[in-house]
Parts: sequence; C-alpha cells; structure tokens
Amino acid sequence: MSMQKEESVKKLFTAESAKVDTNKGDQYYEELYATCQDRIEDLKQLKPLNNRVDFTESIEEQGLGRRDFLQWASATTAMLMLPASFTPLVAEAAVLMNRVPVIWMELQDCAGNSEALLRSDGPKIDEIILDIISLEFHETLQAASGHQAEKQMNEAMEHFKGKYLLFVEGSVPLGNNGTYGTIGASGETFIDHLHRGAEGAAAIVAVGSCATFGGIPAAAPNPTDAVGVMDVIKGKPIINIPACPANPSNMVGVILHYVLTGTLPELDSLLRPKFAFGYRIHDNCERRAHFDAGEYVEEWGDEGAKNNFCLYKVGCKGPMTFNNCSIIRYNEGVNWPIGVGRGCIGCSEPDFWDKYAYERPMANANIKAPTGGVEKTVDEFGLGLLTVAGIGIGIHAAASAIAGKREDGGEY
Amino acid sequence: MNAKPGYTQVKRRTGALRIIHWVNVLSMMVAIATGLYIAAPYYQTFIAEGAVDKYVMGWNRWGHFMVAIIFDVTSIIIFYLTFFSRVDTPWKKVIPNKDNLKEFGAVLVNLLTLNRRKDFSSAHNDSFNITYFFIFHFLMIWMLLTGLQMYVHGLESGLSGIGTWWPTMLHLVTDWTIPAATFLIGSANPEAGGTLMDVRISHHITMWLLITWVVFHIYYQFWRTIFWKEGDISIIVGGSKYVKIEDGENS
Ligand code: SF4
Ligand code: SF4
Repeated sequence: MSMQKEESVKKLFTAESAKVDTNKGDQYYEELYATCQDRIEDLKQLKPLNNRVDFTESIEEQGLGRRDFLQWASATTAMLMLPASFTPLVAEAAVLMNRVPVIWMELQDCAGNSEALLRSDGPKIDEIILDIISLEFHETLQAASGHQAEKQMNEAMEHFKGKYLLFVEGSVPLGNNGTYGTIGASGETFIDHLHRGAEGAAAIVAVGSCATFGGIPAAAPNPTDAVGVMDVIKGKPIINIPACPANPSNMVGVILHYVLTGTLPELDSLLRPKFAFGYRIHDNCERRAHFDAGEYVEEWGDEGAKNNFCLYKVGCKGPMTFNNCSIIRYNEGVNWPIGVGRGCIGCSEPDFWDKYAYERPMANANIKAPTGGVEKTVDEFGLGLLTVAGIGIGIHAAASAIAGKREDGGEY
Repeated sequence: MNAKPGYTQVKRRTGALRIIHWVNVLSMMVAIATGLYIAAPYYQTFIAEGAVDKYVMGWNRWGHFMVAIIFDVTSIIIFYLTFFSRVDTPWKKVIPNKDNLKEFGAVLVNLLTLNRRKDFSSAHNDSFNITYFFIFHFLMIWMLLTGLQMYVHGLESGLSGIGTWWPTMLHLVTDWTIPAATFLIGSANPEAGGTLMDVRISHHITMWLLITWVVFHIYYQFWRTIFWKEGDISIIVGGSKYVKIEDGENS
C-alpha cells in the first residue's frame, strides 16, 4: 500500500502535459531514416498475411490515382511530424501495412469507431488502408459468429503470438465481477476477453473515448464501473487514440508509425500520441479570431451563428481539449464539428461526458459529475460560500456592536 | 506624527510592503473582473462592428495575464520579505510551536468573545493574523500555478516572445497541477491521470475562496481598528499603529 502511495506521489509530480518537440535535429532524423529503411526491407521479405487484393490495385479500383496517393502520403508524413524527406518511406510503408496482423476487439461500446472507418462519403485512402491491413479478427465485420468466431480468434492469437497489434474499442465494465458485459458462446466476461487478447499482443491500441478513459459508459453515475484499457492492463505497451469516434487518420497514423519504425510514436502522459494530441483544438480553430474579438454565438441560430462566430458561450471546450481534428478534420478534411457550427465537447479527454460535454459554459452546466456536480455548482458554491461568510460577519458585527455599546455605555 | 498621550507609535509595515498591498488589491480586482469574463463572457461586443476593430477577449486576457505576472512578482518579493524583512519576522509565527498556538488561541478567543478578553500583545503581528495570510498565499500559489498551466498550452509551439526557456520552465513547474487538480475534483478514471478541465474548475473555485478570504480580511481589520482602538487600519496606509503604553510589551 505504501509502495503504491509512493508510486502515485512520484507519478503526480513527474506527470507531463502535452509538450511537443517538432524538431529533434538532423542527426535524430538521419538515424531514424536508416532504421526505417532497414525495417521496410525486412517487411518486404515477408509475405502479405492474407489474400486481400494488392494495395495499388485497390486504390485504382476506387478511381484514385497514384497522384492522390502521393498527396496523401505527404500529408500523413506531416501529420506524423516527420520531415518531408520521409514521404517515400511512408508511401512504401502504407503498401506494406498488410504485413502487420491486427486483432480488433469490441467491448462495451457503440461500434462507432468501426463505423467511422467504414462509413465515409466514399472510401478515402485512410479507409482503404484500414481495409488492407491484415485484420485477423473483428467481431462485427467478420462473417463467422458464435463458436466459429471464438475459434478464429484463438487461432489468430496463437498464430501471431507476440506480433499482432490489439485494437480495443469500448470500455471494460468492472462492476459485479464484470458480468455487465460478456461475449461469445462461452459467456466470457469483457475483462477476461481483454486479458486473453492482451497477453500475446505486441502492443495494445485503445481506440475511442470508451476504450481509453471509460468514455460515456463511465459517465456519472457509472453504473457498470466502466474503466478504460489502461486501468486494466499492466505491463504492456498501450497507446490511446481517444475521441468519439477516434479519427481514422490517427489510427492509420499509429499503425503506419509502427510499420515504419517498429516502435510506438511518442506519447503524452495520457498515453496519447503527441503527433495527434499535442495541440489544443482552440489554437488551430478557424473561429479563433472571433474568440479574441469577443464575438460569440449567444443562441443557436442567431446572427452570430450565421456569421460563424466563436462557439465558446454555447459551451465550446476547445480551449481545454487536445486533439488534431481542428487541423486534419474528419473524413479526409471534409469538415469537423466546429466547422459545422457546434462547439467542441472535449471528446478526447478523460471524463469528457461529465466535465466537457454539457454544451454550455462551465458555470451553467447542469450535469452531475463524479464528485456530485462540481461544474454545476462552481459559481453557486462560490456565492453560497460568500453568503455564509457574509452572514457570519453580519452576526459577529452586530454582536460586537451591541457588546461594545454595553461596555462603554457610560462614556458617551 | 505624534502619538496621543498614553500611546506609543509602533512601526509595522515598510513603504515597500504597503505599496505591494495596494498593488495586490488592484491586481486582484482586475483579475476577478477579467477572469469572470474569460470564464463566461458576460457582456457582448457591438455586433455591427467588424471583427478587426475589436479585441475584447484579447484585451481581457491581456489584462488578466498582466496582473497575474504582477501578482507573481509581488509574491516573490513577499516570499523574500517573509524571511528577511527588517521590520517583521512573519515566518516565525506560522510554526506551530507552543507560544504560537497559545497566541493563535488567544486571538481567536478575543474575536469570538467580541473583545471581552484580550490577553495577548497586539503590538506586533499575531499568529492568528499571520496564519490567515499564510492561507491567502497558499491559495495564491495555487492560482498562480494553475493559471500558468492553462496559459502555457497557448504557447503550443514551444516558442515565446522571450525564448523557449519560458514555456519549458512553465511545463516543468506546473504540469503536476493537472493530476493534482483531478485528485481534488475527482474522476471516474483516476488511473488516466487527469485532464486540463480540472485545472480550470479548480482555478475557478479558488477564485471564490479568495473572494471569501478578502471579505473576512477587510471585516476583521476594521473590527480590530474599532474595538482595539489602536488604529490598526493605518498600518496599511501610514505604516504604523498605536499601542497603549501600559500594555508594556511594545518595544
Ligand atoms: S469555437 Fe471553440 S475552439 Fe474555436 S475559438 Fe471558439 S472556443 Fe476556441
Ligand atoms: S471538436 Fe472536440 S468534441 Fe468534436 S471531435 Fe474534435 S475533439 Fe472531439
């Protein structure tokens, strides 16, 4: 117990918030370049893991040209915060992505992250790449079900032991011995399912707010005691890609980084890749000029809303949220939440549903938080405190005055 | 200035300390007015004017940061003076030793009995008052650290007008406030290690604590002036108060 305490104190004072180092010096990048080249040569020796169509073919099938692909590669290189000279390597790595086995697991979730990567307005390169990766097991997408599905997962885990990336979507309900969520014909609880999958994984990628920080299932009063993957799995490399849903570009970014370098990208203290979560929404928001000017949407649909004013007063939490959707947007740059005129709800932050998502300024939020409604009552609490102090002072002053009079009664 | 017959003048605050006090008062009023605007903009700008001509949130933030920096600097000076002032040795009064605890109790009794009992020397600054100020400085440090933590994320490139050392240092010194604030606010997922919103909530609540602190502070200083009849209020204006000679311990 005391060890644990010591650990947590140490953790407290060594915690780091987002600080991004975008230029690590020539020497660093030269070495990285060499490592990546070696790695790609190695991967080329391997055979594609499944019988899926070739990447280049599939791009052409979708009516996209080589040019589109190269454009995508240079954008992705920039997103990963690598120098432009890495573009050809990124392009090569993308083609080789089907060499890395992926097992995808769904727990307490809405399948929104799977949806995000399947349903865009037309298959874009990010989505095609996610199609190409060697997805060995995906409960929702595969044809197999029941005992068959279980067998398939066991085989995949056995075959690629120590090599596969485990993608987890959805939170882990711990309450009632985990019986709030079971899967498969044997009724395995989500916790056991996750532990089993994590054991042979090279690394675990938690996608979406639920798998990372508990998300909506963990919102107060958290009936199922839901937590994120990092609370359950210890001693394995974990990487969190929160947001609701996680941006497919960031998923591709992480896999690409792994394929390219064999390592996980640099993470912040919440285990989020810094290339995606190093910046605040607010600092790259197109409405920022209106924020500084003091021009706010006061009410949905008012004159300000028609003129794309800042959404701060209708509850935008961009100033406290770290994510890159204000830069890369969703669906390959089509649009993003603030672009369509509603504020950021902080979907990539822990406890986002209680602390960020009430779509009102903090002082007016009427949602009960884990500690009993902090947001709702910040100002109410303050005014209450002041009132109590005022009453106390009033009583004391009155009593003092009366006592004082009595004492110097004769003098005046 | 000559003391009334039967009273002697005691020097209590140097000029520097008095100036700092009033600078702090001003800074605090500006910080609250601008801070409330930053939290939830409570007045609107003229909608007909072009955005290029106004900078309302910008100016509010500018003002807020300016007084914050002034506050930071005065805090450093005060911290220095707490230990090395020529006039007072306040730090000796917050150490919970026997004398200080006794004095603290005596002053509290004096306040609660509405000045019926007063068995301590009011010539020097007493333990009770100094402990009360200690709480203020504690809250101020928390304000300062949480404020700078929220501020440093605006320098997301790692650059600043005065060099890269500034954001680097701010990260180093204030990053721990995120898990600390989350610990104070509570979280469904404590393992994750906190989120910036908690720092903000905490910053906001601490403002209310400080306002409450000020209300009692003003009341108590006036109350002492009226009931002790020693001109306490002039400490912060003229620098000294007057103590009855019979009291003895007024050297
Ligand atoms: S809309 Fe939100 S993120 Fe954009 S400037 Fe306003 S407060 Fe910041
Ligand atoms: S704008 Fe905010 S809430 Fe919306 S997707 Fe981006 S981070 Fe999430």
